[in-house]
Amino acid sequence: MLSLSGNLKKTTAGVAAVLALTLGFAGCSSGSGSSGETSAAGGSETTTTQTSEPAAESVTMTFWHNGTGEKATTYWENTVKDFEAANPGVTIEIQVVQNEDLDGKLQTAMQAGTTPDIFLQRGGGKMAEMLAAGQVMDITDLIDADIKAAYGEGAFGFDSLNGRIYAMPMSVQPEGLWYNQDLFDQAGITTNPTDMASFNEAVATLKAAGIQAVALGAQDAWPAAHWFYSFALRECSKDVIDNLTSDKKFDDPCWLKAFQDVADLNATNPWNQGFLTTVAQQGAGSSAGLVANGQAAMELMGSWEPGVIGGLTPDGENLASLRWFAFPAVDGGQGDPTAIMGGSDGYSCSAAAPPACVDFLNFIAQKEYSEGYADAYSTLPANSEAMGVVTDPSLKAAAEAYSQAAYAVLWFDTSLGQDVGNAVNNAVVTLLAGQVDAAGALQLMQAAVAAG
Amino acid sequence: MAGPAILVFVTFVIFPVFVALYYSFYSWKGYGPATNFIGLGNYKWTLTSHDFWGAVGHNFIIAALSLLFQGPIAVLLALLLNQRIRGRSLIRVLIFVPYVISEAIVGIGWRLMLQDTGAVNALLHKIGLDQTVSWISNPKVALWTLMFVISWKYVGFAVILMLAGLQGIPEELSEAAAVDGASYWQIQRHIMLPLLTPTIKVWAFLSIIGSMQLFDLVYIIWGQYIGSIAGTSTMAYFMAQNGRLSGQLGRGSAIAIVVFVISLIVALAYQRFILNRNVDGALTERGMA
Repeated sequence: MLSLSGNLKKTTAGVAAVLALTLGFAGCSSGSGSSGETSAAGGSETTTTQTSEPAAESVTMTFWHNGTGEKATTYWENTVKDFEAANPGVTIEIQVVQNEDLDGKLQTAMQAGTTPDIFLQRGGGKMAEMLAAGQVMDITDLIDADIKAAYGEGAFGFDSLNGRIYAMPMSVQPEGLWYNQDLFDQAGITTNPTDMASFNEAVATLKAAGIQAVALGAQDAWPAAHWFYSFALRECSKDVIDNLTSDKKFDDPCWLKAFQDVADLNATNPWNQGFLTTVAQQGAGSSAGLVANGQAAMELMGSWEPGVIGGLTPDGENLASLRWFAFPAVDGGQGDPTAIMGGSDGYSCSAAAPPACVDFLNFIAQKEYSEGYADAYSTLPANSEAMGVVTDPSLKAAAEAYSQAAYAVLWFDTSLGQDVGNAVNNAVVTLLAGQVDAAGALQLMQAAVAAG
Repeated sequence: MAGPAILVFVTFVIFPVFVALYYSFYSWKGYGPATNFIGLGNYKWTLTSHDFWGAVGHNFIIAALSLLFQGPIAVLLALLLNQRIRGRSLIRVLIFVPYVISEAIVGIGWRLMLQDTGAVNALLHKIGLDQTVSWISNPKVALWTLMFVISWKYVGFAVILMLAGLQGIPEELSEAAAVDGASYWQIQRHIMLPLLTPTIKVWAFLSIIGSMQLFDLVYIIWGQYIGSIAGTSTMAYFMAQNGRLSGQLGRGSAIAIVVFVISLIVALAYQRFILNRNVDGALTERGMA
């Protein structure tokens, strides 16, 4: 009898464990939809606070951003604190997500119904996919009038779809060549390249002086793809670019020319030694690290570059000799030579987010917090009133070119979506490795688009 | 008490397999429910992809070379370490350490050392070899680089397994042989090795399965794209690149199912033709004879 009851006890315990496990799952999936929690522990915590203090106004929101650097995390902690102080009852739980993991984590969360209430938004094809899945809030009519006025016309372009706005842009990221003026001086380059002829000449001059001309983080592929985007921006007419998302055939001759430009440049071997196994942003051996440590003269990047380089210099300070020039013009190109490639970091509310979410977006878009954002990320604020905070000479040059550009074009991988972006990355890297020629690279891309 | 175990297994292993099967029939990008049914389209894409068969080939080459390199090295080291030699436990620990270190750390460490400007090339320059070898990106070298890292990482596991097998062999056998005048090598060749066969077969099975699943080291050392250029992409790497990275999760699911079937066939074939014959050549019959 004793042993029987002992067995019985064990069995009951087992059943209880199974039940607890099942209930745990159920609790997870039902609780997550409303509060947007990401972990079971977090979920239960919120539940207890909600039951013990049934304040009618209390709202908890989750917030995902990619500011892994110390300045950015501090900025968001302080900003959220200020917002919570101004809005009693609102709590925002911050989760910092490594940039490269963000898209995947968002996808998983959206699939699981645990979409964070506030999250980083880059716009384009990815935003369109989120929108089609009913995951993003339309904030067009919820943005404060004075914020709209401060931002100015066109500032919401990258975060809009069919005339509706789905994210609050915080930064603009014009692309160009960031270079170390000290190394240019050392090589004796006095005027910045404006076309490919003078660019190639500068590369030759730098190499003759024993300086690695261009840093390229081709292991991450996207930095290499940006060379293709920039050449395409110069080669292709505005019409072709404008119709890119509706017509993905890439049959205009300008695409082949852009690949050929990449191949021609590659033939001059302007890159750092071992560029195929160089990553973009991690450590002194990365492409940004090479520029930060005076090991390479320039790099093609968006305007996050001064911040990234600043984190990789020996003293952790921004590189004082960093300057900027626009991507060179190409002979016979159909694109406007002042046109600029770029993107924007914005913040979206999930479709199910409480109204306080839009309050938060309006809050961070104010001049004071836009300035703080630009400073924390070493980037250009989307709020034009906050532009005064930008003192870095390279960023100032980029901002000026951006404001005078005939038109601005969103990164192709963002506007075309992940699958084409992946195909372009692959095609360009294969081209740089010398395994296909320009026509072969174009075929790789077209095949991927046709299959998608 | 099997209940919870079965529940966990069904929830986290069986159920996802069927979910992947379901998604593999859709063109699905991961946001919201899958609605665009395309039948066998994803399978057709996978099976007609040149790169996919390249990756499958790499898996099989890696499996074969792993057996070829690691097997003899592991057996020799195990025979050596089975002797009472000075510093035996220290050598055992040193051989086993790479296996214990996480793949991520091993991957990043070797990636940094093997870069064109990395420590390995710097060392070669120091000893007067003035040629820079692209260990990672040169397609002629890359697969051998991978094989070296894999062998370095996993040979310790094989050695420990073989040692355990050797220590399960009764000492009386070798003592009796020695009394009969057998030399050291004769004992190893004709007594230890045959009796070690079951262990070797189990190790080979684990090694083949590991080679079929290989992903992390390649992904970390070669990054998301260079692997397919350098010729080190594996089936799982191909799946990550064309499923996850391209946001084509339906296609990724189809690749996963194909990889699952290939691995299953390999595993079943091995069990049917090799593992089952354990008793044939080993103890029982000789004992009877």
